[in-house]
Amino acid sequence: MPLKAEGKGGLESSVHREDSTDIALFVRTSQEDMLDWDRQRIVDALLRETLIDRDTAERISIEVEEIIQSGKVKTVTGPLIREMVNAKLLEMGLEEARRMHTRLGVPLYDVDQLLVQHNKENANVPHGPEATNLTLAEGIKKEYALLHVFSPDVADGHLRGDIHMHDLGFIDRPYCSGQSLEYIKKFGLNLPHALSKAKPARHADVLLAHMIKFAAALQSHFAGAIGWDAVNLFYAPYLEELSDREVKQLAQMLIYEFSQQAVARGGQAIFSDINIYWEVPKHFEAVPAIGPGGEYTGKTYAEYEKQAQRFAWALFEVYKEGDATGKPFFFPKPLVHITEKFFRTEGHLEFLHHICDVAGDKGNTYFVFDRGETAKISECCRLSFKLEATDFEDAKEPWRMRYSALQNITVNLPRLAYLAKGDDTRLFTLLTERIQLAVKGHEQKKKFIERLMALGEGGPLSLLAMKLDGQEYLRLHRCSYLIGMVGLNEMVKVHVGDELHQSEAAMKFGLKVIAHMNIVCKKMAESTGMKFVLEQTPAESTAYRFAKLDMAHFRADAEPVVQGNRDRGEVYYTNSTLFHVGAPVNPIARVEREGLFHPLIEAGSITHLWLGEAHPDKKALADFVINVFRHTQNDQLAFSPEFTACLDCGRTTRGLHDTCSHCGSTHVDGITRITGYFTKVSSWNKGKLGELAERYRNQGQFAN
Amino acid sequence: MTLFTKNDCRLCDQLKKSFDLAAMGVAVEVLDGSNAAALAHLAWHGLVETARKTLPLLVLDDSSTVADFRHIEEHLLRRAAQYGVAATAAGRGAEACVSGSCAL
Repeated sequence: MPLKAEGKGGLESSVHREDSTDIALFVRTSQEDMLDWDRQRIVDALLRETLIDRDTAERISIEVEEIIQSGKVKTVTGPLIREMVNAKLLEMGLEEARRMHTRLGVPLYDVDQLLVQHNKENANVPHGPEATNLTLAEGIKKEYALLHVFSPDVADGHLRGDIHMHDLGFIDRPYCSGQSLEYIKKFGLNLPHALSKAKPARHADVLLAHMIKFAAALQSHFAGAIGWDAVNLFYAPYLEELSDREVKQLAQMLIYEFSQQAVARGGQAIFSDINIYWEVPKHFEAVPAIGPGGEYTGKTYAEYEKQAQRFAWALFEVYKEGDATGKPFFFPKPLVHITEKFFRTEGHLEFLHHICDVAGDKGNTYFVFDRGETAKISECCRLSFKLEATDFEDAKEPWRMRYSALQNITVNLPRLAYLAKGDDTRLFTLLTERIQLAVKGHEQKKKFIERLMALGEGGPLSLLAMKLDGQEYLRLHRCSYLIGMVGLNEMVKVHVGDELHQSEAAMKFGLKVIAHMNIVCKKMAESTGMKFVLEQTPAESTAYRFAKLDMAHFRADAEPVVQGNRDRGEVYYTNSTLFHVGAPVNPIARVEREGLFHPLIEAGSITHLWLGEAHPDKKALADFVINVFRHTQNDQLAFSPEFTACLDCGRTTRGLHDTCSHCGSTHVDGITRITGYFTKVSSWNKGKLGELAERYRNQGQFAN
Repeated sequence: MTLFTKNDCRLCDQLKKSFDLAAMGVAVEVLDGSNAAALAHLAWHGLVETARKTLPLLVLDDSSTVADFRHIEEHLLRRAAQYGVAATAAGRGAEACVSGSCAL
């Protein structure tokens, strides 16, 4: 007698067995249909998916069938049969076959929780059905990656918390991308499998539409940030006919579009960065400009300096105003390059005051210091791609300029100190081993992405395989592989006895650790031909994860050094090579001392100065920025004020408060920078909340 | 006083030949691609970017830096005299690093 569906609703309908002697079972399969019971399906699956022999497969299928026939199982589903088969494989000691036969999925309880509760792993993901889809998909892809893409030693290293492989839920994509607007200016919006194709834009607003859509398409193919180089310069040829008012309107549209594009992947705003120059960068001066219709205008970019400046100025006017309620825009992040040429360019001081006004008032401005002949594209929370000889050659045809980091793997530094027990040799040996493990992880991800890319325009990464300029959009041979670090401060505290800011010995030992990492990366790059570079990991959730894992597995060692509030579980390690956020260090000392690490970390570093309620004068900040450029090694700098947004009256006030100073409502949310971007405090994970409570606010350190 | 050098750096070799640096109390750091302590020491003085452009570099006792080869020689000659150590400066033209290897 056939089984009948229960039909009781809920998330999962099931099939009931009415007669335990009836072998004609219907099995609900993962293909969402009902199949007659057939033991042979178990055999087929085992032979297809594992390497076991037919006799063993037959034996397992018989044993599973016997259990089902015994009547102990009332509801039979595909996943249940797979669990039973896996249990048999384990009983027989066939661990590898069990691994190959694993079913990826999410427990019912977890889905129930996810549908209702906010996932705060990434504060840039809101709470909603689209975000739930993202989290569920990420969960399965993460399991797939750990089981199938990475070898057990690499996967175990991640699971134990020795290393952290970022964005495992996006295993089938590279990490992040930095590119030039010239690509869409020259080729239009011409994406594989698109329902329609657009010719190169003839008008600035159409170019903006293309930029936004291309950014959204890129967001679907990269895990992280989407950065744009010299945006104000590359828009310049489209601005000549526009009035100042129209340029401001365009600036407003650009910022609002990126800021409000929180409707695509997982309801996530595109993590977008726009690189801005006041001057025309030297490597673009003689480059023929592309204008409306993708045609050369007959001028070089050097001749568009004034138009580029007009747009840069307008963009910061919009940032200064904030959104309709005066809140700072979270995206796109404006990264202003401070170079030697900047100081030789007319109007630079007024512009510096302008962007410092925004930095002090809203906090948006990032100051990227390109000293000497250095030039780079910056993006993400601090990542930068330093331009090399081949890049300067590409700059002659700027649409070729596109950069990607394929993956980011971070080393848990404090744990090494726990294991080394004060022994330098042991500590550096362990550090080398962790980097080697990270390198192995990078090699495995590269191999996996190569496999997907090899499927070309018919494959899942068709966008990245498109060859509009003769090369694949993702130039795999030019990709970087990031190796990050978390908790240098706590590692040094354990090993040397002081935190980084507390003694010269601690600083010097910290520098030696990072120098060692730098050297090992270079050696690994030489031996593999892959570009391994250090990056200060943003560690939005990694700093929390490592601290939590170490509190669980190395409690005696971790408890004295882990930061945050242990009672509330708001624990964290200090991000990358930074000084502890609560260290009472004056801003210039912090910028100078933290900056000593930056030249060793070639893929990007930053110093954060938390402002709290302080509202520094623009000229004081400008003087500070000039000093940082001239007298320190610091790579990037950001000032972070804090705000309270009232969810009732809609007003935004300075500082983090429990109530709205206008209407008295307690229905408020804080806003400040979490790692490298602004977001709502209500979306922060516990570790970051612990950090927020301890941040040293530089109040009174700058003239108000 | 510390002299930052590199093994395949012609100008660094020139200084090592011309001066008995140990006798003069000048510490020599060799940035050989596996010496983390030397690289960390260089970073401590904020000289990584400078060293990427030019080597050798001399850090004086007051922590100021001399990057120009001629000036390094002058400082070392004075130091040699101070320590009573015989030394001769390289001839004119020695400061040129044609191979480009005199950098980190």
